[in-house]
Amino acid sequence: MSPWLLGPVQAAMALLLAPGLVGAIRWMKARLQNRSGAPPWQPYLELRKLFAKEVVVSNNASWLFRAAPFIVFGSTVAVTLLVPLLAVPLPFDGAGDLLVVVYLLLLGTFFLALAGLDPGSPFGGMGASREMTVAALAEPTMALAIFALAWSAGSTNLGHIAARMLATPSEALAPGHVLAFAAIFIVTLAETGRLPVDNPATHLELTMIHEAMVLEYSGRYLALIEWAAALKLLVFFTLLGNLFAPWGIAAALTPGALLWAALTLALKLLALGGVVALVETHIAKLRLFRVPELLSASFILALLAVTASFLLR
Amino acid sequence: MSPELVSQLSVGGSTLVLLAGLAMLWRRGVRAHIGAFTAQSVALAATTAMVGWFTGDWQLWAVAALLLLIKGVGIPILLARMARRFGTERELEPYVNTATSLLVGGLLVLLAYLVTAPLVSVSQLPTRTGMPLAMGLVFVSLFVIISRKKALTQVLGFLMLENAVALLAVLGTHGIPIIVEIGVFLDVALGFIVMQVFVYQIHETFESIDVEQLNRLRE
Amino acid sequence: MTAAPFLALLLSPILAAAGALVLPPRWRAASVLHAGLGLISLLAALRFVALVLDGWTPTWGATVLFRVDALSALLAACVAFVAALAALLGPRLGPDDHYTPAQVRRFRVFSSLFAFTMLVAVTANNVGVMWIAIEATTIASAVIVPLTVTKASVEASWKYILIGSVGIALAFVGTVLGYFDFVTLVGQREYALNWTVLLANAPVLHPPVIQLAFVFILIGYGTKAGLAPMHTWLPDAHSEAPSALSAMMSGVLLAVALYAIVRWKAVVTAAVGHQFPNRLLIGLGLLSLAIAALSLVIQRQYKRLLAYSSIEHTGLMCLGLALGPLGVFASMLHLVNHTLAKSMMFFASGRILDRYGSPEIGRVSGLLRVMPWTGGLFAAGMIALLGLPPFGMFLSKFALVRAGFADGKGWLMAAVLALLAVAFVSLLAHLNRMLYGPAPAGIRRGESGGWAVVPLVACATMLVVLGIAVPAPITELLDRIVEIAGR
Repeated sequence: MSPWLLGPVQAAMALLLAPGLVGAIRWMKARLQNRSGAPPWQPYLELRKLFAKEVVVSNNASWLFRAAPFIVFGSTVAVTLLVPLLAVPLPFDGAGDLLVVVYLLLLGTFFLALAGLDPGSPFGGMGASREMTVAALAEPTMALAIFALAWSAGSTNLGHIAARMLATPSEALAPGHVLAFAAIFIVTLAETGRLPVDNPATHLELTMIHEAMVLEYSGRYLALIEWAAALKLLVFFTLLGNLFAPWGIAAALTPGALLWAALTLALKLLALGGVVALVETHIAKLRLFRVPELLSASFILALLAVTASFLLR
Repeated sequence: MSPELVSQLSVGGSTLVLLAGLAMLWRRGVRAHIGAFTAQSVALAATTAMVGWFTGDWQLWAVAALLLLIKGVGIPILLARMARRFGTERELEPYVNTATSLLVGGLLVLLAYLVTAPLVSVSQLPTRTGMPLAMGLVFVSLFVIISRKKALTQVLGFLMLENAVALLAVLGTHGIPIIVEIGVFLDVALGFIVMQVFVYQIHETFESIDVEQLNRLRE
Repeated sequence: MTAAPFLALLLSPILAAAGALVLPPRWRAASVLHAGLGLISLLAALRFVALVLDGWTPTWGATVLFRVDALSALLAACVAFVAALAALLGPRLGPDDHYTPAQVRRFRVFSSLFAFTMLVAVTANNVGVMWIAIEATTIASAVIVPLTVTKASVEASWKYILIGSVGIALAFVGTVLGYFDFVTLVGQREYALNWTVLLANAPVLHPPVIQLAFVFILIGYGTKAGLAPMHTWLPDAHSEAPSALSAMMSGVLLAVALYAIVRWKAVVTAAVGHQFPNRLLIGLGLLSLAIAALSLVIQRQYKRLLAYSSIEHTGLMCLGLALGPLGVFASMLHLVNHTLAKSMMFFASGRILDRYGSPEIGRVSGLLRVMPWTGGLFAAGMIALLGLPPFGMFLSKFALVRAGFADGKGWLMAAVLALLAVAFVSLLAHLNRMLYGPAPAGIRRGESGGWAVVPLVACATMLVVLGIAVPAPITELLDRIVEIAGR
């Protein structure tokens, strides 16, 4: 298979799997809470329903409101091209590395926040400011944590980091890596709007962070945004799984290796989803002024990860 | 046990010890603080035992056992008793708020790394990699003592400082002579007991263990 | 070398503590035993001084755990002297004292333990054992600071034990770093923490490590010595403690902490030369002197005044250590003088507190009329602390300034003299307020327990002797100390 085909294949696979991942987590949470819950493929049905519905746009909205869902969706899909989902090395290695990934994600968040402000609704503004607070603390943490990995791998290219980890499996449990994992896990919870930072299932607007920004959206715009959010969750899980435990990633582009890579990826995603479901069932949502404390703690973990990697070089 | 593994375990153990110290800056309840101290002492005992295994020095095993007994079990029991008396007094508003405290803690760890750079470059021991973290805990403990308002938290900060020095000693020198070690244990235990008596005295005299109340002596 | 002097020196305080614990405090025998054992300790210390002057260096213990050279002997003598005074003049069950038997017992037990730990600290050859002993001094003395439980004394004792223990922990960091350097070079040794071994190996120790270690040591033991900016516990603790304890703390505990600094300075100087430690010592000493001198102006309580004066003098001694061999000589002479003068002052102030019932300077007046002997001693002590002849401090301060000029630090000495002048004026003003003027109504006149004044008069006499001409044995002892302390 041509290496250039790998990119679109990865992106397509991610797009297909993402809603399923969100559905799986919801299903697991329901089971843990002794409910039947919706089936794991419910988000697909929701997306289909949303694409068919009519779009209602506020009179105060500008071009930004209509453009934002596409920008968010586009940037998240671009990230899937740069993340080691199935195989290393990636074809777009020369185009992007860790910093590009972080900034693409931030681009999406930024435009979503602007779109929350655009129609002039109070909840949108509230959600946007809260989201920016969280992002301001979470982005540096993520960059620092992956930087800790990059230091021991000798390159900020995500593919190279995964390849390096494949080559030296004994380094998986190095203190720097464990700390970085913990830091990125907390950032994942914060950036994808999971408990204890934000309750994805809440219907009380005053407690929302991510949902409040997208309150004004409907129809296909909402579908795109929901899909992009699911994709973001998948990207974070992939980073957690394939950077820290990359076994299963295809080194060659043969169909067998790729199938095996897809299988192991699905397993890792389900495992991480299970962990998140457990965490969400056990922990209550943090009060908003306590969120910076949590994120500062994760920042310190990332800092310690960098120093630990540095010390053990 | 290869030196590389020992290096990794040293850094791992020291990181756990330091994280427990940083947890004192993060969590606010007395019980959380006592839990952090207990975890720290256990991690310290484990690290000491690991170094003992690596060097084959039985004295380090004895030290690890003492650490576990005195600081992992004995002192937390006494602290828990104090917590029952004063546990309702949470560290509500320290002089520096939590997020800033954590960031300052991170900066202190970086500072410790700078300060101990000559030490790490001089030593040949495989355990030297954890020394900057131990020094970081020294600074973080000092910060805890300065920035917290409850007498009980200050006592815990002092105990953590002693843990940090013990970690520094075991990582840098593979254990100080046993007489000195035992003497240090006795000192710390006695010091803690006296401090405990004082906290009770403060509570009886001032009706609270808030250090801000201790402001009668000025100039 | 026989163990007898060591046993007499170190065992007496232990026996005194045991005796005070067991015997009822009301018994006459208890106080006699207590005082007697203090005297035995003092005689043992003087015996050590004699041995050292004869050229011996008594040691004891398998790994040379205890070793007494000139510095140790001098400090042991000072500690034993003040401890004996405290045993004689401490809280008693007399008509003028207001202590309960339980308090007297507690004081006797812990002050004896306090004396024991200080004696171990100055005679131990092992750096670690010295550290343990100094930490133990904090614990032993902190227990009896709040002998009478008041809000002020509880606050003072809390600050003391917390800041003191933190400081000592930092000193331990420094000790560990020093040992770490040794281990890196030579490997682990049972006796590696002995002073003699450290000194012998000093030239090969790594400079950056030893410098870092010394910074921690100075901050740590400097906290115990009362050097600024770690001095904040001192005025509170020394003013709230019972006077006998304040005498021990101000008189000799600060000296013991300084002893630790002198020992480590010798090691560091042998390793990296004298520039680095001297700079640090000058910085801290000058800061302490400045803060103390300026604080003396606004003091309203006489015991706090004395405490700040202790900080001032410790700062001076610290400065002296950095001014070359002449400075070390002056500093150690100053130490002896300060011990005598400060302990005498605190005992006198204890008597004043008992009589007037108030720690405020404003409430004390007409001292010379109410208690002529105590007032006279108080005045003599204050004049001694000011550095006026015919008392010993004049000679030591003069020697210190001369050493400073000889070392080429003219500007520094000018600053020191200016600060001393500030202290001079404020102390003299406070003294005048207390000595003269009408006595407050209802104060009983005349000395009570007159014989208690006798040891204090002896102190004053010794100060005069040291002021006129330092006796030859002491000069010789000090010369030996200068050699030990390194250039």
